[in-house]
Amino acid sequence: MKLVYQFQANLRKQAIQMKRYAPNTIAMVLTVYIIFISIFAGIQLIGNPETQAVTIQYTIINYIFWYLAMMLVNGIGYQIMSETSEGTFEQLGMTPSGIWRILSMRLLGEWVLHSIMVVLLLFLSMLTTGQWLNIDIIAILPIFLITSLSMYGLSFVIAGLTIVFKQIQALLQIFQFVLAGLAFVSLSSIYYQLFLPITKGIAMIRAIMIDGYQITDFSTMDFTLLIGNALIYIIIGLSMYLCCESYAMKKGLLAHY
Amino acid sequence: MNIIEVSGLSKTYVKRKTKEPVKAVNDISFSVRKGEILGLLGPNGAGKTTTIKMLCGLLKPDQGSILINGVNNAKQRLQALHHISAVLEGNRNLYWRLTVRENLEYFAGNRGFSRKQVAHRIDTLLVLFNLKEKENELVNRLSRGMQQKLAIAVAMLAETEVILLDEPTLGLDVETSYEVRAILKEIVKDEDRTIIITSHDMAVIQEVCQRTIIINHGKVVADEEISNLMRLFDVRAYTVTLGAELTPAQQALLESEFITYDYQADLIQPLLSIELTHAEQLYQLFDILKRNETPVEQIDRRTINFEEVFIKIVKGEAVDETSLSISSELA
Repeated sequence: MKLVYQFQANLRKQAIQMKRYAPNTIAMVLTVYIIFISIFAGIQLIGNPETQAVTIQYTIINYIFWYLAMMLVNGIGYQIMSETSEGTFEQLGMTPSGIWRILSMRLLGEWVLHSIMVVLLLFLSMLTTGQWLNIDIIAILPIFLITSLSMYGLSFVIAGLTIVFKQIQALLQIFQFVLAGLAFVSLSSIYYQLFLPITKGIAMIRAIMIDGYQITDFSTMDFTLLIGNALIYIIIGLSMYLCCESYAMKKGLLAHY
Repeated sequence: MNIIEVSGLSKTYVKRKTKEPVKAVNDISFSVRKGEILGLLGPNGAGKTTTIKMLCGLLKPDQGSILINGVNNAKQRLQALHHISAVLEGNRNLYWRLTVRENLEYFAGNRGFSRKQVAHRIDTLLVLFNLKEKENELVNRLSRGMQQKLAIAVAMLAETEVILLDEPTLGLDVETSYEVRAILKEIVKDEDRTIIITSHDMAVIQEVCQRTIIINHGKVVADEEISNLMRLFDVRAYTVTLGAELTPAQQALLESEFITYDYQADLIQPLLSIELTHAEQLYQLFDILKRNETPVEQIDRRTINFEEVFIKIVKGEAVDETSLSISSELA
């Protein structure tokens, strides 16, 4: 039950802050939407009319995953930077369950709240473009959940680096383009799909939403790659985070800014 | 029963530019009894914060061990954190964009308590800390004193046996500082908690703590009950207001008999300040005054305060007595 209460506390805190600073939250969603509209207008103006519909559908899905990945992965970095400078991070360091569990619950909370926004953005984008995608919840949800695990892994890598180096805004800015690359580039090579995070999951979701695939249309190999990739990244992410935390505790960097 | 056992604790930092090692904490050992309020003192850079951070598991020691309620902090850090909570940066340990109650609920949630489980406890703490009326106020709208009280309430909410408070009265006005001191004493009395306080405010330490550990240059230079330290460093210093001026012969005698003496000649109210090395010297003083029948208007004994004791210890004026033979002297 402790984990449930920890999740509730973190979700509630994030929801309160989003609600309390509603203009900021609305501005954030609007910015994301306006950027999408700009991309959409660009495709309409200079894109190939024959492939325009598919391009727009690809853009909607890629863009939404990019948004979610940025919110989770870069978001945790900005949160830690802000908390170490404000002085609250060492209180998290004194939690008996460990910082990584609190961060996990925060990521889960962020994931829930931003997933709601993603759904909102998805419908807004479909409404704007007139391109209606196949929303097969039963097929999308498990793939989306497993893909999110790789995002968690990346988030822990960023969290670990932030604890040690503190000022990593420049890295986070570069990293948002890395995330864009991962979300937008369509990879067919199994080798790359296994070793690059989130790409396999997004490719499968694209197949469902654009090509009308059902969950049974995917092979065991597809799911093996998807789950393997998620496990690799969650293990890498957590291990790296714990190493960074241990290093920070040894060097006295944990709450320093 | 000791709730904290620190043994042979050391921590060395390496200076970033010169790569020169600096021993922040150098082989310190001490213990803290259950239900005790301990003052951990030291000048800036003495090693207090490093010690505190090692105690609460935020910093790994290079050597030594810390047992908190029997749990080894180095080997079972998370287990040890069940027994200890801390306010390390006062009001900075709070979420300023959450309300008083939301802060308490959030930190309780992180420790695995539901809002329902802690609702009554939160109400009790809000009353104890006189924050009930402000429970729905955002922290950034509270005064510094209220923020500080809330930070302590957050630490209290964890219901740990040990609470570490780093500078709990820093930046508070006199009234709030008194209020915080009163609350701390109440907590120890009613809840049987162990509190470790670091502070530069010696009045707080003198009033609230039973025992103090003074750290300087990473080493423990004193570990004693405050009352014992006060007795040990107590000086027999007197200011004598005279009814007439001293003669040159009397002044010469005082100079030869007393090491520390100061005479301020004044036709109306001559003042003689004198420090005795032993009680019998008081009779000698009266003998000298009696020679010319110098009238004595008033005698005031100057009392030493804890700040002076601290400075003496830190300056090493009594290091030998305090760290090596303090107990035997008092015995």
